[in-house]
Amino acid sequence: MEFIDYYKTLELDKSATKADIKKAYRKLARKYHPDLNPDDDSAKKRFQQLNEANEVLSDPEKRKKYDEYGKDWQHAEHFEQQKQQRSQARGGAGGFGGRPGSSYSGSFDDDRFSDFFEQMFGGGARTRGTGRSPQFKGQDFNAELQLNLTDVYTSHKQTLTVNGKNIRLTIPAGVENGQTIKIKGHGGPGAQGGPKGDLLITFKIANNTDFKREKENLYRSVELDFYTALLGGEITIDTFKGKAKLTIKPETQNGTRVKLKGKGFPKYKKEDEYGDLYITYEIKVPENLTKKEKELYTELQKLRS
Amino acid sequence: MNLEELIATEELCERYRVEHTFIRSLSKSGLIEVVTIEKREYVHCDKMADFEKLMRLHYDLDINLEGLEAIKHLLDRVNELKDQNIALKNRLGLYE
Repeated sequence: MEFIDYYKTLELDKSATKADIKKAYRKLARKYHPDLNPDDDSAKKRFQQLNEANEVLSDPEKRKKYDEYGKDWQHAEHFEQQKQQRSQARGGAGGFGGRPGSSYSGSFDDDRFSDFFEQMFGGGARTRGTGRSPQFKGQDFNAELQLNLTDVYTSHKQTLTVNGKNIRLTIPAGVENGQTIKIKGHGGPGAQGGPKGDLLITFKIANNTDFKREKENLYRSVELDFYTALLGGEITIDTFKGKAKLTIKPETQNGTRVKLKGKGFPKYKKEDEYGDLYITYEIKVPENLTKKEKELYTELQKLRS
Repeated sequence: MNLEELIATEELCERYRVEHTFIRSLSKSGLIEVVTIEKREYVHCDKMADFEKLMRLHYDLDINLEGLEAIKHLLDRVNELKDQNIALKNRLGLYE
């Protein structure tokens, strides 16, 4: 366990007054407060360190103990006992009182003080809140769920294990990569009887298909042979819903895009509504022409010029 | 609106130990939507996370109402940009 320099944490020197500590804490807390730095774990960690440093330095008793034993904090209890014995022999009383501190409240820093703090001041040494002692909603849990694109084409149920608890949830069809959904009441327990936090699940969707997706629309390139493109015809392609027959117009150009209405991806939380599928034709020019073919193409070329 | 999903402002004041004027100020400045049903004021339970955030910023960091408005606006903008970023990343997949 490493010694923590609380003065350094608050960017102060040892001679800092109570007002200096309050000012430094307030300034840094405004900078690193988790509400002002959403999804920033480093800010959250720094904020917890600030709270811990403030907890110690803003309390004269704790600060005295910290200043006195500093790096020898491991032996603080032993020194304390000796001191107490001495003072008892003189008829006095020792120990630490503790008074309400001024560290910031919130649900994000509960039980996150360092081992150093717990060892030096004990688990019950923390003072909370700004005198309001309110009930707070529990911490929100964040989870990531890896799925394939084919998995989210239809709504399905899945069981997740979060903190040892099985949660059965329905994953709605059409959920997007990077989308976060909230499962109410499956987060951390509330503070002082407050409601439970929520579980926030972010979906990471890998594309395991030949389709490209943008929201509810799908895109795909299809190879078209030269003669079908030139003279027209019919081809059969794969869609997410099965096979589809397409009529190719004569003289179809390379890169032509056609829309298959309603053959795209399901619209999120809109039952039986689908996006469109866009097919782009990539015309494949014949290779390894025979002598006869070359002659015929040359003749065709002459006809065109 | 379903009454079960609403929390009475008196209950909020009691639970969070905040003054009613604070909730009223949030409502007046459009930071929190307060609905009145049969002369009782309520906040929707979906708005509780926003309410708690504003409360922490106000009471813990001494940020006044104007500051809260500015912060709320900027945080909303951050979230908007985050969503845009996700959408653009997903779109970029079309060209990869």
